[in-house]
Amino acid sequence: MDNERNIDVTVNGRSHSANVPARRRLSEFIRDDLGLTGTHVGCEHGVCGTCTVQLDGETVRSCLMFAVQADGAEIMTVEGLADGGALHPIQEAFWQEHGLQCGFCTPGILMTVHEFLLENKGPLEEEIRHALSGNLCRCTGYQNIVKAVETADRLWER
Amino acid sequence: MGATMIGERVKRLEDPRLLTGEGGFVDDIQLPNTLHAAFLRSPHGNARIRGIDLSAARAAPGVVDAFSLSDGWPDAPPTIPVLAPVDGLLPCPQYLLARDQVRYVGEAVAVIVAESRDLAEDAMELAEVDYEPLPAIATMESGMASGAEVLHDTVPDNVAVRWTQGIGDVAEAFDGAAHVVSDTFRMQRYTGVPMEGRGTLATQDPVNGELTVWTSGQWPHTQRALTAALLGLEEKSIRVIQPEVGGGFGVKVELYPEDVLIPFAALRVGRPVKWIEDRREHMLTVVHAREMDIDLSVALEADGTIRGMRCRLLSDQGGYFRTLGTVNPSLAITSVPGPYRIENYEGEVVCVLTNKSPSSPYRGAGGPEAVFARERLFDMAAREIGMDPAAFREKNILPADAMPYDTGLVSVESTVVFDSGDFPAGLQRALDAIDYAGFRAEQARDREQGRLRGLGICVYTQMASVGPYESAEVRVDGGGKVAVVSGAAPQGQGTGTALAQVVADQLEVPLDQITVTFADTARIPFGVGTYASRNAVMAGSATLVASERVRDKAIAVAAHLLEASEADVEWHEGTARLKGVAEKSHTLAELAQAAGPGGNRPEGMEPGLEIRHYFETLDAPFAFGVHIAEVEVEPETGDVDIKRYVAFSDCGRLINPMIVEGQIVGGIAQGVGGALLEELVYDEDGQMLSANLADYQLPTSLDLPNVEISHEESPSPLNPLGAKGIGEGGAIAGHAVIANAVEDAIAHTGARVRETPLRPAAVWKLMQEAGAASS
Ligand code: FES
Ligand code: FES
Repeated sequence: MDNERNIDVTVNGRSHSANVPARRRLSEFIRDDLGLTGTHVGCEHGVCGTCTVQLDGETVRSCLMFAVQADGAEIMTVEGLADGGALHPIQEAFWQEHGLQCGFCTPGILMTVHEFLLENKGPLEEEIRHALSGNLCRCTGYQNIVKAVETADRLWER
Repeated sequence: MGATMIGERVKRLEDPRLLTGEGGFVDDIQLPNTLHAAFLRSPHGNARIRGIDLSAARAAPGVVDAFSLSDGWPDAPPTIPVLAPVDGLLPCPQYLLARDQVRYVGEAVAVIVAESRDLAEDAMELAEVDYEPLPAIATMESGMASGAEVLHDTVPDNVAVRWTQGIGDVAEAFDGAAHVVSDTFRMQRYTGVPMEGRGTLATQDPVNGELTVWTSGQWPHTQRALTAALLGLEEKSIRVIQPEVGGGFGVKVELYPEDVLIPFAALRVGRPVKWIEDRREHMLTVVHAREMDIDLSVALEADGTIRGMRCRLLSDQGGYFRTLGTVNPSLAITSVPGPYRIENYEGEVVCVLTNKSPSSPYRGAGGPEAVFARERLFDMAAREIGMDPAAFREKNILPADAMPYDTGLVSVESTVVFDSGDFPAGLQRALDAIDYAGFRAEQARDREQGRLRGLGICVYTQMASVGPYESAEVRVDGGGKVAVVSGAAPQGQGTGTALAQVVADQLEVPLDQITVTFADTARIPFGVGTYASRNAVMAGSATLVASERVRDKAIAVAAHLLEASEADVEWHEGTARLKGVAEKSHTLAELAQAAGPGGNRPEGMEPGLEIRHYFETLDAPFAFGVHIAEVEVEPETGDVDIKRYVAFSDCGRLINPMIVEGQIVGGIAQGVGGALLEELVYDEDGQMLSANLADYQLPTSLDLPNVEISHEESPSPLNPLGAKGIGEGGAIAGHAVIANAVEDAIAHTGARVRETPLRPAAVWKLMQEAGAASS
């Protein structure tokens, strides 16, 4: 039943080689095997976006993938954003604009915003709201998240 | 610094760890050797259990333990207590695991503990339960119908309790009325749905036997007391720690069966046991809220002055009365009159049992339901007598000179006495902010072009804290650093930052010298927790008093060291100095060292620069607010677009306006979600049709408006900070205001809004039916 496979992945710049059961989800692998618990799981069925990570630069829902599907990929999680002690400009912006309350949705949102801002400069509010619409947040009502994205757009030299 | 920290928009101390993924939520805590639990749950809404066979499950790979109620408690199994009972409540409590009947889909029947969650769930498929399905009660109406299936023998008509309360002479008020307007309103079942579900990890220390429980909750001290009582343990042998919590909104203020069963399992197997709720379990088993049918009548003078009101409220309680099952109906029935002068009022509550997950408080707890019905009825009443809805409210709102105003009503939580505020001025400010007169003129013009624009007003009061106490300990260490420990148990509100601001204000030390910790029964012996918008008022006041006394003590130590009288010592930027002699001073660190045991302190003084204070009160302050929303309804689809949203609030003195505004907007998001989208849907067999986040629609960034916020700060006389809570106000007003705005947009068709959610199809249907009726 626990049919295991070996996978090689790079996570936040570090390479890992691991044996994983075929049914292990990528979210479980990241959280439980690698101990990177910044990636959260809010629904485990692909709707809420809390589990969002980047796989080869593109956002994916890690609850919907098996770890074995990530074999050979480069993964970035929320732990890969800050540079040592220095927050990433997106993180700075969320801090400044009060873009989080409980912080449970935040890692997934940061991953989404990172991808969005790399592809978009000076986005309109409407575009930001569209970009965020696949990530649920139950605390903030999104208003300050939108503001944080606007601020991040200004702060982040890219 | 000093005296300016309160009222500052300080960035939150909590955020760096949350932004970098370092926040420790319960599932992030990984102990070696941990086992994982899965719950076997009822697939039926209502069924008798004829037998449970766990033998095959026990023999499955990786399974360490599996138990049902009779395995765990062969003799007298305990039930979950009702903590806020009302007179006449018939017993209908829940066992920790189903005994011989299940009464809602998802009710836990057995626990399986295995080396991994996957293995536990694999084994679950081998468990056999012999059910005899019974007819399910899916609505209050069918539960109250004669000949209905009886859910509990102790509750012959499925009505667990009914009560009435009132003030004045209602019969006289209605007899002499020029107009009586009545209607029935229905709010749907919906609930908190935090992004982090529930979860518990428990382990017993093999050396001292202490049981440690980490739980995603809101009231660790109460959870410890109840866990001890149900498991027959001593409180002192249990430590409950609430780590980072990913939202609670009231639904984690509850003693759930799993809260007790996971520690119980850990004791049985002698290893750590963890259970993390999945989303389907959450939707099926978290406490539900809001579902009420409300008959409401208002008696009016010819000029629109309210003579009196009558209310009959049916509350759908689900299958059992749980810990706080009485709170929603009790707060609802006492919230109906609200910020208006209503001297004659009579309310009746009827609590009906159905085959659904039990109901208990969720953000607003009865407030949203009552305010929705009242503010809806007032719009209808104004329309009926040909009065403008804003003018109707202006006529009846309590004047500033009525404060403090005793409504004469008492909820299970507190007396309803409005302590301060200028309600008419607040209403005017909100009307000005939206440019009420200007909107009405545009609305009439736009309607001729076929555009359906509407504006809704909601005026509300909110019980803005609840007793009986909260704890705070403020301690200065020898390095001059300040540690605050409180029994409050926040879930993302930023309370740590707010309490640090209170301390910084008193001690005049930088925020980065202060740490705040919460919600650990081993760190502070008593605490209440975080719910009912109580943190700023209760934990804030406890922290204020404790830090004031720490400063007084530091001044006494300084006077002793300086050989001066206390009156000659002043506090300045975290140091004590001889008045006017800057070089004669002592830092906080020096004073803490001198005050310590063995140090150089005044004779008779207790050692340690530390004070623990319990702020105790049963009097709740009341916050006030006016929300006004402008919507546009798409005539072809019924889709509702929120164009503007103005929120005026008076929640007393603000500690951190940024955090307060976050609470307001976050609350509104949940009210709007309830008004437009969210619903826990059961079919007639008691099966839930919305047990995932695709079918239960939470608002996204595309559904919510930017809120335009304004404040007044009428200090509460009931606590030394002058604070009032605000956490629930948005959820209370947000639902009603959207319902009112939608009706305003389509009222000319004859359509009336009596229930929610107002999804496009529902709005479209209202317009069609009204159109058909009028043509
Ligand atoms: S946890 Fe993956 S989308 Fe919700
Ligand atoms: S901050 Fe709590 S869910 Fe987004």
